[in-house]
Amino acid sequence: MATDKELSDFLENVERRAFKHAIFAVRKEESALDIVQDAMIKLAEKYGDKPAAELPPLFQRILQNAILDYFRREKVRSTWVSLFSSLEGDKSAHDDFDLLESFSAEEGSEAAESSADKLERQQVLAIIDEEVQKLPARQRQAFLMRYWEELDVAETAIAMGCSEGSVKTHCSRATHTLAAALKARGIFL
Amino acid sequence: MSAKERYFAYQIKHALDENTERLSSNTMERLASARKIAVSRKKKSFAYFFIRRPAMAGQKRGFFNQPLTLLGRLGVAAPLLAGALLFIGLYQFEQEQRLYEMAEIDVAVLSDDLPISAYVDKGFNAYLAGREE
Repeated sequence: MATDKELSDFLENVERRAFKHAIFAVRKEESALDIVQDAMIKLAEKYGDKPAAELPPLFQRILQNAILDYFRREKVRSTWVSLFSSLEGDKSAHDDFDLLESFSAEEGSEAAESSADKLERQQVLAIIDEEVQKLPARQRQAFLMRYWEELDVAETAIAMGCSEGSVKTHCSRATHTLAAALKARGIFL
Repeated sequence: MSAKERYFAYQIKHALDENTERLSSNTMERLASARKIAVSRKKKSFAYFFIRRPAMAGQKRGFFNQPLTLLGRLGVAAPLLAGALLFIGLYQFEQEQRLYEMAEIDVAVLSDDLPISAYVDKGFNAYLAGREE
């Protein structure tokens, strides 16, 4: 059974990557933070008595499920919103409002760091982040779990709920897709 | 996967790691807070509830080391008393049953109502001899 310290150390080690996993999927920082928190709590509450070695694949599975739940809720919410919005009256007073005119990037976020004075390395890092985010969801999941979380094929298959063959296929496709996308943008690794 | 592909994948990994170093302080605080909440809600194993925690210095723990209130004393004494009364009651009942059976046999012997097979039964004769003593 993992001790409190082992659980805390594991979560501290994985929290940043988990946040990135979530933000690649949902593209909203607040939602990503909520997803990560929910996943951490669920891991601790339901699997806190498991050995420390079992926590990584368990957490990845919980995280992916939390992301899926988010999309399901968003789908339901957008259905209700579109339903009620069709009942609204004259909206001409709001037509001139453009969110992008008032939107400003948060200090330290990706958007703020894409400004003119960024170094070449930071630009490359940002492009890599962008292209990873553009990957199809399953390819991104497989790639990040295998190479970023360093889970083996079997653990990745359990976390993704698919076969080991599927994991290898997704990883291979993700690698080729990323390489082609970065090459098209003039980046060679 | 070829070595070249594996090398590419790990280059991406390092790039992603570098990007995580650039997360905002607000994000890092939120993640740390979420981690603390999660650890505080950690599931305890079944064995946890049977392991006694070490006593703090100068303090004794445990039910019988603490001074009992009147209610606590009654809570201990009441089941013991109930058990004792139950035991006494059962003993009395069995004694009465035994006396009743003996009385029935005595009546049968005196009124000559015993079956003939009782007189040839060695166990019954031994019982009668024991009673005389």
